Amino acid sequence: MQKRNWMTRELVLIIIVVAFMLFLSVSTNFSSRSGIYSFMLDVSPTIVAAIALAMVIFTGNIDISAGTISGFVAYTAGSLAKSGMPLWIFLPAGMLIGMLLAGLNGFITVKFKVPSIVVTLAMNMVHIGFYATFLPQSGWIENLGTNFTWFGRGRFFELIPYTFVGAIAVAILFMFIMKYTKFGMSLYAVGGNRRSAVYSGINPDRTVMKVFLVEGLLLGISAVMKATTRSEVMPSVFVGRELFFIAAALVGGVSIFGGVGKIVGALFGAMLVYLLSIAMIYLGFQDYYQFAIQGGIILIAVYITVIDVEKMKKTFRRKKRHVITTGEGE
Amino acid sequence: MDQTTNTKNILKIEGIYKAFPGVQALSDVHIELRESEVHAVCGENGAGKSTLMKIITGVHKPDEGTILLQGDPLKVKDPNDAYSKGIAIIYQESSLFPDLTVLENMFMGHEIEKPLLPFFKKASMIDYPAMRKKARAIFNRLGMDLDLDTKITNLGVATKQMVEIAKALSLDSRILILDEPTAALTSKEVDTLFETIKRISGEGVSMLYISHRLDEIFQIADRVTVLRDGQYINTEDVVNVTKPQLVSWMVGRDLDNLYPKEQAEISDVILDVRGMSQEGVIENIGFTLKRGEILGISGLAGAGRTEMAQALCGLRQADSGTIYLNGEEVRIHDYRDALDHGIAYISEDRQKYSLVEPMSVKVNITHKVQDRISNALGIIDEDKENEITETYMNQLDIKAPDGEFIAENLSGGNQQKLSVAKSLAVEPQILILDEPTRGVDVGAKSEIHRIISRLAKAGKSIILISSDLPEILGMSDRVIIIKQGSVVGELMRNELSQEKILEKAL
Ligand SMILES: Nc1ncnc2c1ncn2[C@@H]1O[C@H](COP(=O)(O)OP(=O)(O)OP(=O)(O)O)[C@@H](O)[C@H]1O
Ligand SMILES: [Mg+2]
Repeated sequence: MQKRNWMTRELVLIIIVVAFMLFLSVSTNFSSRSGIYSFMLDVSPTIVAAIALAMVIFTGNIDISAGTISGFVAYTAGSLAKSGMPLWIFLPAGMLIGMLLAGLNGFITVKFKVPSIVVTLAMNMVHIGFYATFLPQSGWIENLGTNFTWFGRGRFFELIPYTFVGAIAVAILFMFIMKYTKFGMSLYAVGGNRRSAVYSGINPDRTVMKVFLVEGLLLGISAVMKATTRSEVMPSVFVGRELFFIAAALVGGVSIFGGVGKIVGALFGAMLVYLLSIAMIYLGFQDYYQFAIQGGIILIAVYITVIDVEKMKKTFRRKKRHVITTGEGE
Repeated sequence: MDQTTNTKNILKIEGIYKAFPGVQALSDVHIELRESEVHAVCGENGAGKSTLMKIITGVHKPDEGTILLQGDPLKVKDPNDAYSKGIAIIYQESSLFPDLTVLENMFMGHEIEKPLLPFFKKASMIDYPAMRKKARAIFNRLGMDLDLDTKITNLGVATKQMVEIAKALSLDSRILILDEPTAALTSKEVDTLFETIKRISGEGVSMLYISHRLDEIFQIADRVTVLRDGQYINTEDVVNVTKPQLVSWMVGRDLDNLYPKEQAEISDVILDVRGMSQEGVIENIGFTLKRGEILGISGLAGAGRTEMAQALCGLRQADSGTIYLNGEEVRIHDYRDALDHGIAYISEDRQKYSLVEPMSVKVNITHKVQDRISNALGIIDEDKENEITETYMNQLDIKAPDGEFIAENLSGGNQQKLSVAKSLAVEPQILILDEPTRGVDVGAKSEIHRIISRLAKAGKSIILISSDLPEILGMSDRVIIIKQGSVVGELMRNELSQEKILEKAL
């Protein structure tokens, strides 16, 4: 009998995240009250969006337009708040917009059998064009009141942002969904082997459609979390953010080929990606360098968490192999 | 089973037609399945057996025809629908997810659920303890003990097959379809499976059973239906047919010699393997192989036959051992090295190692010989490519409209032929065949045997790994027997017998 392999990717990742935090605490004021607060505040929307992307990637799909969809959500929420609507109106409205736009991606992918990378890449451009052409002032809304910002700026015990609590709750909920629901299992099935999924009675098209809707819903939450930290909204600031979401999921050990990965990975992947950007700021790099260096570090992070653990596992397995292999098919 | 007392039809299939682009897979096929009978379906590779089964389970839609389940028209939208109506299937191709665990695989798509909260019955969650319990019970019934948390990718072919069987049993169905369930199993596992089949057919489950191992049909089935080229040929009680009769229905002619071994000239030693070990897998394996010789490797599943072959070809790293090729020591680090030295290996697990499935037949046959057929710039000479493809498609009688046909859409047996073709195309000096005729019909089987013989006659050397004892007996010049990773015996052709091999292997 094989023992459970305790050295999972996710564990390696968590160790790296903790090590990073310790490093930052020693060399910067990361561990100060304001340092911890701004980390939690910044990372929350990314956690939720990384989970959204992870789910899509589980099925072997991707969404390049996740950033621009977030922009639409922020605009929708902002304009509703501007006319005095409360959170319980503009948050569901934002989620709905997210579901509509992501659902459209899913629909085109499934209906016309176009790979989602093509569909969402095109959509990304369509969205950007839409911002500039159809939104008044390219969607810029300013002077939003506390009916908008109380959510993004509020904190428990003067320290923990509401949004962080929300992000952790979303993470826990989706960890549960992935393990304990048929829907969760079907995502791995469709991404793992489409033919086998069909043979198991799972409808891949319907599953892909569903996952895009869930992604849209989560992007809605994520974008509202992000937008409500400020009293103005500008859709174009969300352009390109999908790269962080995707990077967070991949760094978290979600396989880009589908079928493999864990929500907890996306959670800590998001943290690692954010810690990197904080480190950059503390170290005083300028924006452009930041991007380049971050890209490089993400590559290294993916390498450490994915490739190396696989190697380690192999060495492990080689030692254990005979235990598993004897008595089995040769 | 006795059929006289029980002739109620549970499933009645009539006038089924199904065409794929370029292929009429089924025309006017009918079958009646009686309650609690085991009904075998026979036919050559590509006869349409799997297609018919997939129509029953809703994977494919028939172009025409009706299916009656206990007298009522059966309309299945998708496989899930079929499951819910009590029809389960073990597909010929793997339906497992390599990155998921045994438990997750067994219940994928039909997980056992319980209410999320005791007072709120609408929302439900997967009930792992219940699934675990049921899975254990099923594996007990199959007489095996398996860690339910192992990932499928860590299992061997035979164990994977047992998981597939367990998966189908977990559905508690009235009709069970088995599409070549034994192709990857050894005799002991086959026995266990047959016991299970007998037991559940006694419990009232009806079965459609597809196999190319004709002996099994006589052993397990009550009736047999034969298909040929997508057409219905005959249905008969098994007690009333003989094996030659069955074969002639399948191939449409009488088949002469099943193991057409020709005498080849066996000369000097070409390969000499000494002291090859890998901890826990193989131990101090040594043997020689002569030019023109067919060396059979026999042994139980798990004895280390495949591991030995893989270590020899650089597909697995041995801890120690030396390999002499034509008297000179060679080092083989990876499979590329093996190919460079003229050693080719045909894997038993064609889906995992051998075929580039979504690619064309042509790409599959020629992709290992690209160097040979491309010019200095690396551009492939298409004429040569087509020529090679055609040669091997003809030689092995691969049933596909043309070389552009996608390998994935070939029938199972034709995929096996394709994977043989792929290794023949590299024109190796030494060819290692690991279960080369698994899932291959009688006609093609004798064709593959003829090719093996011909290769030996042309001075090539063959290592033939097979669980099919008649095949080993019929083809080998010499047999070595492997048990628990070591060579435990060697028999020359004139001293070969089934008993002697089994005695050493057990
Ligand atoms: N999805 C598909 N697309 C195109 N052709 C197909 C497809 N599936 C099967 N075929 C063709 O239909 C014919 C019948 O195939 P089928 O798999 O039913 O044969 P089989 O009797 O099961 O053979 P085997 O014994 O080799 O498994 C073959 O010629 C095969 O190439
Ligand atoms: Mg078949």
